[in-house]
Amino acid sequence: MEEVIFNIRRFNGINSYWQRFKVPVKRGMTLLEGLYYIKENLDGSLAFRASCRMGICGSCAVRVNGKPMLACETQILNLKAKKLDIEPLDNMRVLKDLIVDFDDFFKKHEAVKPYLIRDDVFYSKPVELLQTPKELKEYYNFTLCIKCGSCYSMCPAASTRGDYLGPATITAAYRFCADSRDKGKNERLEAVSGTNGVWRCHFAAECSEVCPKKIEPAKAVQKMRKSAAGYMIKKIFR
Amino acid sequence: MVGVKGWFRIRGVSLQSLAFSLQRLTGIILLIYLVAHLSYLTSIRLGEEVYTAFISLTVRPETLPLDSLLFLVIFYHAFNGLRVVLNEFGILYEYRRALLYILAALAVICWLWSTYVMYIYVMG
Amino acid sequence: MVEKVKHDVVIVGAGLAGLRAAIAAAEKSRKISIALIAKTYPIRCHSTCAEGGTAAVLRPEEGDSFDLHAWDTVKGADFLADQDAVEFFVREMPKEILLLDNWGCPWSRREDGKIAQRAFGGHSFNRTVFAADRTGFHEVHTLYERSLIYPNIVRYDEHFVTNLFIENGRIKGVSAIRLKTGDLIIFEAKAVIFATGGAGRLYGFTTYSHQVTADGLAIAYRAGVPLKDMEFIQFHPTGLVPSGILMSEACRGEGGYLRNKYGERFMEKYAPQKMELAPRDVVARAMWQEILEGRGIESEHGPYIALDLTHLGEEKIEERLPLIREAAKKFVGVDPVEELIPVRPVAHYTMGGIHTNVKCETPVKGFYAAGECACVSVHGANRLGSNSTAECLVFGRVAGEQAAEFALKTDFKEIKKEEAEAEEKRIFDEFLGRSGDENPYDIKRELNKVMEKHFWIFRTGDEMKEGIKKIKQLKERYKNIEIVDKRRGFNTDLLQSMEIGFMLDVAEVVAIGAYTRTESRGAHYRLDYPNRDDKNWLKHTLAYYTPEGPKLDYIPVTITRWEPVERKY
Repeated sequence: MEEVIFNIRRFNGINSYWQRFKVPVKRGMTLLEGLYYIKENLDGSLAFRASCRMGICGSCAVRVNGKPMLACETQILNLKAKKLDIEPLDNMRVLKDLIVDFDDFFKKHEAVKPYLIRDDVFYSKPVELLQTPKELKEYYNFTLCIKCGSCYSMCPAASTRGDYLGPATITAAYRFCADSRDKGKNERLEAVSGTNGVWRCHFAAECSEVCPKKIEPAKAVQKMRKSAAGYMIKKIFR
Repeated sequence: MVGVKGWFRIRGVSLQSLAFSLQRLTGIILLIYLVAHLSYLTSIRLGEEVYTAFISLTVRPETLPLDSLLFLVIFYHAFNGLRVVLNEFGILYEYRRALLYILAALAVICWLWSTYVMYIYVMG
Repeated sequence: MVEKVKHDVVIVGAGLAGLRAAIAAAEKSRKISIALIAKTYPIRCHSTCAEGGTAAVLRPEEGDSFDLHAWDTVKGADFLADQDAVEFFVREMPKEILLLDNWGCPWSRREDGKIAQRAFGGHSFNRTVFAADRTGFHEVHTLYERSLIYPNIVRYDEHFVTNLFIENGRIKGVSAIRLKTGDLIIFEAKAVIFATGGAGRLYGFTTYSHQVTADGLAIAYRAGVPLKDMEFIQFHPTGLVPSGILMSEACRGEGGYLRNKYGERFMEKYAPQKMELAPRDVVARAMWQEILEGRGIESEHGPYIALDLTHLGEEKIEERLPLIREAAKKFVGVDPVEELIPVRPVAHYTMGGIHTNVKCETPVKGFYAAGECACVSVHGANRLGSNSTAECLVFGRVAGEQAAEFALKTDFKEIKKEEAEAEEKRIFDEFLGRSGDENPYDIKRELNKVMEKHFWIFRTGDEMKEGIKKIKQLKERYKNIEIVDKRRGFNTDLLQSMEIGFMLDVAEVVAIGAYTRTESRGAHYRLDYPNRDDKNWLKHTLAYYTPEGPKLDYIPVTITRWEPVERKY
């Protein structure tokens, strides 16, 4: 049984300050379990988001020693540090302790029309759309985005442009453009070709490094960029 | 939105982010240098004495190390920029880390060679 | 200061059932305004944890049929399911799968491009439609993304519903705390749908997310709506040890084996025909029996059974069970391709819930319930795998349509200022402001221990009586808790303390229902009454709230085609 110090950056709506907690850790204990330990035994006012504890809901992303990660998937002893500096995600407004404002993030996601667009399917008469396993594989990896915000937190473009769509949103747009059942590619290219779209990315590629599900958002952004370039050039000649 | 300090993160970042931060830093340095360089060269319109005074101030054996540093800045920005252009259009994206090492190495080699040539030229 | 908003339909809970209800109501009429309230963002719901698949009769030309699916469901439910509801349910399912396909869900496919189906426990045809082994995740994201199209769905994310307003048997609306600011908002509505999920966090070793704390069940119960069949809690056979993370039934569907200490496939003794693909209650009891008789494998986290996937091959696991592989590697350090996964039966699903009929109506007019928090009952005493996501889709749609129709025909009923202010006072002055000496989290831990000791897979009358006493003691202690965080903005302490209160109420209903039912049926198994008693107990338990504790009543089961027979696998 070891003891690890959790140095957490707290915010109570007015002041921001760091607070240390000593957490007893055994093998296999995750960071989220450590946070729950603090809340249930040391300080009930510690606020953080958490739900599924199995890395699929995307609630618990926090920065540990500067790097964003999912608290539920991180084993404390794997971090090999006696003191952990835990902060909320960057580039988003802090609401309380480790909780940040995700409203903007989701509004940007809505702006790129992240749904299948087809004019020949009807609610009253659904039909089976065929798709081969090979076509599914083309875009399947990009469907795994859990919208945790880690990529957005590390993105330097988002640091200076608050309205930058962000890697997760552009990945969502690409996921539908690459889906063989979709017919709305042009509408999405229009949405990502603006001044707050793909052109703000300058390939720091940190998003691909920190993505907990390893879905390569940087790759999706670059592919959208190529398509957007072609789209904008064609638009001039239309 | 954290502002410009979001461009220069060091904690918990990978080599990709550091390469990006250096690209930004060298870009800013080059921008300042460009303005300075142009204003120096165009000072000839104020007369030959002014021009000669400026040049003798900055082209001296003592300032050569700074010039050498400038070479490093230029070569790094150029080669890394090449990598960024390739990767931004999806070319060689899977090999981005290898590309990073190779082009950084090329930048260092060019820098060493150009410093050597410069010293030979100026010092004889 | 209390803010009031008015919406025609208010949906509480944004999981599979809630999102589907919102879409159905929006499709019904573009003129009604729909509020979708949830205590988290919709894609953070617990439905994303569903893994295995969704059952539907897609290929009648290949041998499947509605009657077969209905029979599998009724037999799996140990004949406690209402057969008219089951027959309706199976006929509505195929449409839902195709709708999701049209909306972009990445279903796994066969070589010919058609939607693939796999084997699952208790089904006599391979009818479980799946998307790798993250079916719930993909369904939720697809429904969420589709719901963005409708401008009349207004979302209220991170709003925690605290109470219902009912007058003269008719719903008036709900009250909710806006977590960001701590303000109380009153939603006046013509129709309210609850899709708030089950009660899994009553137990400590559970597959449920932290946020599934029986909120809707407790609020409805306290408001006078009866809860049905709450004593039936499903224990899923394969929960990862020690976290409780679900190892999908698909592992066994794709051919995995369960082995005890001696490497034997012990299911041969308990269900010789179906083996590992018998219904979950049969397999869970078999595993627990093996553990009790000393044939479990010992470890620092207690005895476990081994789940063997080593004979499936890496390619099949990567294609059909990628999440299982990732979870086993990340949380236990075991690679299923080469090693055995440690599993143990785990609390997984609440068959019971708010009493509804086939149209999702409750005894209160304008109040509907759908999904896991409702009990129609389609699952009876035991649910078959891949039927829950199916139920959420079908009954989510029904609830949405019914609520929309009701809203088009009626008017608002006013929630008076005094009622709103009374609610504000109850939460923030009396509950938050009170001082005491109990830590609410200690009470939660104790509750988990009590439920795991006294109301687990094998139950006895004496143990349960002891358990009921302990729950009542915990409820007394709960009156004395103090909430440390007194600030209103994003007060997770207040939230979790309220959730613990909800869980205590529902725990009492589960306990008393289980103690009173003197038979064994489906997931409710008693060592002192080990046989099924159709003469006395072929009926549903209804629990009504009284200040002294739940009052029980009974209603008959609807039998249309299949008389109860012996349940053998």
